[in-house]
Amino acid sequence: MAEALAKSSFTGTRHAPAKTFDLFPRPTTKTGLIGWLTTVDHKKIGMLYGGFAIMFFLIGGIEALMIRTQLIVPNNHFVSAQLYNELFTMHGTTMIFLAVMPLNAAFFNLLVPIQIGARDVAFPRLNTFSLWVWVVGAILLNIGWLSHFVPAWKFGGAPSMGWFGYAPLTSRAFTPQLSTDLWVFGLQVLGVSSIVASLNFIVTIINMRAPGLTMMRLPVFTWMALVTSFLLILALPAIAIALLEVMFDRNFGTNFFEVSGGGQPILWQHLFWVFGHPEVYILILPPMGYVSEILPTFARKPLFGYPIVVFSGVAIGFIGFGVWSHHMFTTGMGTIATAAFSIATMAIAVPTGVKIFNWIGTLWGGRIVTRVPMMFALGFIWMFMMGGMSGIMHAAAPADAQQQDSYFVIAHFHYVLIGGSTFGLLAAIHFWFPKFFGRMVPELWGKVSFWLIFVGFNCTFFPMHFLGLNGMPRRTWTYDSNMGWNAGNLFASCGAYLLGIGIFTYFAVLVYSFFKGKKCGNDPWDGRTLEWSIPSPPPEHNFASIPKVHARDAFWYEKTNKEEIAKEKAELIKDEESHGGIHMPDQSWYPFFSAVGLLIGTYNMAQIHLPVMFGGKEILSSHMALAITGGVILLLSCYLWALEGPAGYHIHLDADGNPTDSHGGHY
Amino acid sequence: MSSHAATGHIDHHHDHTTSTGIPNKKLLWWAFLASDCMFFGALISTHLVYRLNPPPGNANPTQVFNIELTSFSTFILLMSSLLMALAVNAIQKGNIKSTRLMLLGTMFFGCIFLGGQVFEFGHFVHQKHMTLSNSIFGSTFYTLTGTHGTHVAIGVLLLGMMYVRTFKPAAGGGFLLNFVHLAAICVVMGVSFIFVVPGLIEVIYGHGFGEFLGEKAKPLIVGAIGAITLFILSRQRGEVDFGEKNAIDIETIGLYWHFVDIVWIIIFTAVYLLEYL
Amino acid sequence: MTRLRSEHRKVFRFATALSAVVSLALLSGCKLSEVFNLSGPQSTMLTAGPVAKSQWDLFMVTVYVTTFIFVVVGGVLAYAQIKFRAKSEADEHAEPPPQGHGNPLIEIGLIAASVGLLVIIAIPTLRDIWYTHDVPEAEKANAMDVTVTGYQWWFKFEYPTEMIKLPNNGGEAPLVTGNELVVPANVPIRVQLRTVDVIHSFWIPKLAGKVDMIPNRANFLWFKADKPGYYYGQCAEYCGESHAIMRFRVIALSASEYVKWLNNQKQPAKSVSTDDVAANEMPHAQFASLKLEDGSALSGSPEFDANPLEGWKKQQLPEAGEKADQIAAGRKLFQEKTCYSCHTIRGHEGIGVAGPDLTHVGARSTIAAGVLENTHEHMHAWIKDPSHFKPGNKMFFGGYNTLEGDVWKPNPKLQLNEQEIDALVTYLHSLK
Repeated sequence: MAEALAKSSFTGTRHAPAKTFDLFPRPTTKTGLIGWLTTVDHKKIGMLYGGFAIMFFLIGGIEALMIRTQLIVPNNHFVSAQLYNELFTMHGTTMIFLAVMPLNAAFFNLLVPIQIGARDVAFPRLNTFSLWVWVVGAILLNIGWLSHFVPAWKFGGAPSMGWFGYAPLTSRAFTPQLSTDLWVFGLQVLGVSSIVASLNFIVTIINMRAPGLTMMRLPVFTWMALVTSFLLILALPAIAIALLEVMFDRNFGTNFFEVSGGGQPILWQHLFWVFGHPEVYILILPPMGYVSEILPTFARKPLFGYPIVVFSGVAIGFIGFGVWSHHMFTTGMGTIATAAFSIATMAIAVPTGVKIFNWIGTLWGGRIVTRVPMMFALGFIWMFMMGGMSGIMHAAAPADAQQQDSYFVIAHFHYVLIGGSTFGLLAAIHFWFPKFFGRMVPELWGKVSFWLIFVGFNCTFFPMHFLGLNGMPRRTWTYDSNMGWNAGNLFASCGAYLLGIGIFTYFAVLVYSFFKGKKCGNDPWDGRTLEWSIPSPPPEHNFASIPKVHARDAFWYEKTNKEEIAKEKAELIKDEESHGGIHMPDQSWYPFFSAVGLLIGTYNMAQIHLPVMFGGKEILSSHMALAITGGVILLLSCYLWALEGPAGYHIHLDADGNPTDSHGGHY
Repeated sequence: MSSHAATGHIDHHHDHTTSTGIPNKKLLWWAFLASDCMFFGALISTHLVYRLNPPPGNANPTQVFNIELTSFSTFILLMSSLLMALAVNAIQKGNIKSTRLMLLGTMFFGCIFLGGQVFEFGHFVHQKHMTLSNSIFGSTFYTLTGTHGTHVAIGVLLLGMMYVRTFKPAAGGGFLLNFVHLAAICVVMGVSFIFVVPGLIEVIYGHGFGEFLGEKAKPLIVGAIGAITLFILSRQRGEVDFGEKNAIDIETIGLYWHFVDIVWIIIFTAVYLLEYL
Repeated sequence: MTRLRSEHRKVFRFATALSAVVSLALLSGCKLSEVFNLSGPQSTMLTAGPVAKSQWDLFMVTVYVTTFIFVVVGGVLAYAQIKFRAKSEADEHAEPPPQGHGNPLIEIGLIAASVGLLVIIAIPTLRDIWYTHDVPEAEKANAMDVTVTGYQWWFKFEYPTEMIKLPNNGGEAPLVTGNELVVPANVPIRVQLRTVDVIHSFWIPKLAGKVDMIPNRANFLWFKADKPGYYYGQCAEYCGESHAIMRFRVIALSASEYVKWLNNQKQPAKSVSTDDVAANEMPHAQFASLKLEDGSALSGSPEFDANPLEGWKKQQLPEAGEKADQIAAGRKLFQEKTCYSCHTIRGHEGIGVAGPDLTHVGARSTIAAGVLENTHEHMHAWIKDPSHFKPGNKMFFGGYNTLEGDVWKPNPKLQLNEQEIDALVTYLHSLK
């Protein structure tokens, strides 16, 4: 890290300052707290996303281990029913919204601009905004835990109505706790963060590609990032409106889901799953992208059937909007609707299968080098196949009537989300760690952690298929000992501990490698895409010159056509210098400030009717004033943000590609 | 865009620094509008689900709506789109004065529409006894049209910011003036759509004009002060940092404005005219 | 170079050791066959009716097809992984293999093959969607209707065709029971699914897959028990704090036994003369205290589980040596302690409908929604501290405790000592 920071500590020269409306000076420091809070560098933002996400991934893991400990024997009292419900609610919410999604966002940030040969995203300050807004959402969701430690904070514990929050359980009559309101606002805020970030990446990928990088030359990961971004902007509005309606029901007496007022709770399920099913693909498409990058690298040959892999990714995203009701086969939709969604669900298995065929095709005839990322990627294919198979079983609606909401479903989606998404992410972390930290992770310990995770994962979740078929419903705090579930649960819990040890090993090794790992060069894996063409860790400006792309695996082409490229590079650098040097965006305070305003606003808005207490005394009769204060901070920050403009500065490089003293840029 | 400044030639439809030639800002707005479609889609679906399967005790739409008034404000909103298009046209020709006028006109029409909505909401609540919480029809109606109204209000605010932006001095600075200017716009627009337009509609429906002046005296005075401030500030002379190069900014706001109008046509048809179709 | 190789060997040794240790550890704790046990009382494999059977058969079709796919695709994948491995350190750094980009013919072939395999699943799926949806036309005539209503966290069963005269006002109402649904075997049962609060889901794995009970929505399901039996069911949609212990039973009886049961149920609650009991005299009886955490099943003792249907039938018989004075004292307490305001005991004092109907509670095999076997000890423990077994339940929050401001305070009217609980239990158990 120290190195990464040192490399990016060059501040360059700012534009002529007179023309902007600066209220106070823009931050220029690249290091320290201010540097990180105000950064617009996509790599730093990616690392912040990644760091926070890994933290929440571990918290969600601890929640999972507590769940498994409660279930290790029948009629156990390790945790109370209420705490158990909070644990599984927050385990789901955390792993989806605060672990896997932001880890993917981390890789979008770290990789997409570099893979398309750009120096930053299209809207750097908006990118910073997404990050801090995401942090606000994470705080709102988790703040309820504090009431278990400080009784004076009456959040009523963490949210406890399930990550899916089925109405009318979210009605004030059934969950009067404040934590439910905070959950509603927390998810809403996370939605804002994701939509803004996705808009940014859509524009970045479509508009900021290096010369010659046509859409059909994009690395598959970037393609998947684009599809995922579209899924996000189109799917999140549904849940945003549903959450808005719940918020109105809870606070302003509307009847959207209030049964007594004629509301239809089933509507929540439709709105939720219209978002929720594309969300599944939002979680899995980026990992499919990582795997599509890692397999060709270690098989040492290009991806088999690139256009079909891309097309099937798009098809998955598209069909993904038409299968939401397969989460609702037991809600009595009637025969026609059930049949239609059943068939559509089977149809989506085809493009998913196509991806697996193409990955195998990539391995076929290659020369497979079994490094740790490759092991996780191969583990991904095997485990994802398992999850896919049980997915097909669920598509048969009548059979699903027995499996829905049983442990069989838990087994299914953990095979998809751990065996799939998480294995993909662990592969990606291992694969790109050398690029962003300049150090290798020891192979031996990587392999140890892989086997621990692989064995632990299967021991945990394979028996759950049988628990489900043996009639064990999910989200149950306890079970009786005469149900035939004892051995399966004991086995699964032991497996979970092993999985926990594996995950711990994995991240402990990363921490070790961060300080002590062997240093590496630009291209430790013999990579194929542009990120391997630049130094590890990458300099602030990524590329000395924006590259020209000649083929699909751009860097592989550069490596196989060295002379041509060297000549071209020299030309490009000279050309860029003649245009005033490398233009970089300025840092800004306002994205961070507006997130702070949003935090104050939403935190108080969630408890708008309650009096403000301080030291046991009531100091305000409602939170309205505080909520408005937050809103004003938010609006004011946005206003000043608009006034300050993007600005920017220029970097000039010497012959070795190091930044030199620079002369002032032009506007 | 630096390349524009360098060449001196302005191409309004292509940005040669991007891969597709579409400027980043414009693409961002297009993508956002796609997302916004889904927001309204979810709201309209909610409304129609309950409209077509009304629970017992639901309000009766045909007895609540005042189609004449809403048709009028729909017409006004559509006309505002025309002014918006004229504003874009004016700035592409570099005519700042005309741009300002058209922006003000668009904002003004937007405020008439919003005022109609404020009047309508008050009328429904007080005369028709349809509140946010006493029937599902009310819940879905107010959230849907309220969300649309919020969109229009944000549009007016954006146009206001853009209007103020046209006065940015080329010499730099001027932050305080900018802030005062924007505040004046907010006051004028706020007073007009919260007090003036609904008041005048009441006058049309038989309320005395004198009584209107008496009841709304305070906001009218505040609004007048705002309007005078606005007028004085609009007399500013001197070089401004605004011109054809900013056409893209006005164009993107225009994109949003037209979108909000189109959404209203759908809402007007699906919500107000459903029983007459 | 050799260092890497030796690392691989180390990993291999580590992996072998690890799997050995894990298998040993897990196998010593439990027999592997029990981990993959499918013979529990809620097994979806050991079906007892046509609906569950068609669902299991369809499931097995999907298992065969997906296993076939997995074996074929997995086989090719495993082959590729082994065959195309870099065999040595030198191999890893050799010239890259030919850079092929794909083969459209193979792709199209594989897509067609997967579509074909999915059609094999789709056909029985469509057939069963219609079959499991509603009672087949041919059997509609002799189908029986039952209405089940979900409450947090128990089930109310109503027999709309079995009207009974209400003893109090001469009106008529359908027969009501709680948490145990008794039906005739070999008769299609059409269950109307209702709920008064949140979403629940009605699931009897051996008889039929689940259908949700959703507010403001008229769902239903059907099932048929092939032969008399005792079947376990459970709520399958998360419904709040005690969702885990919202259970019920379905008891299928032969036609004659069903009629016998029905006739008994239609009777008002059994009465014992109270005249000879002095008002303030507290009867004395002690029940053995219950061991709760020793790992034994709460809902069925081994003797009961050995033949639950017989166990249920035994429960129908009056107990020997009933003590009239205790029963009378219990009945009085039922009134004094305001139990009547939530529980109906038809013919006696109870009129409430917030809790399960207790008219024949003594004849049920379980209490507290299938959580506890209906023994004296269990009922004693349940009445003493209902929140221990069912956190958040309304008997504890609202009955034993009342809300003052936002704090739950013990209800002074509802304090029970051991003797009082004993009397209540004796009374309730007399209601066969």
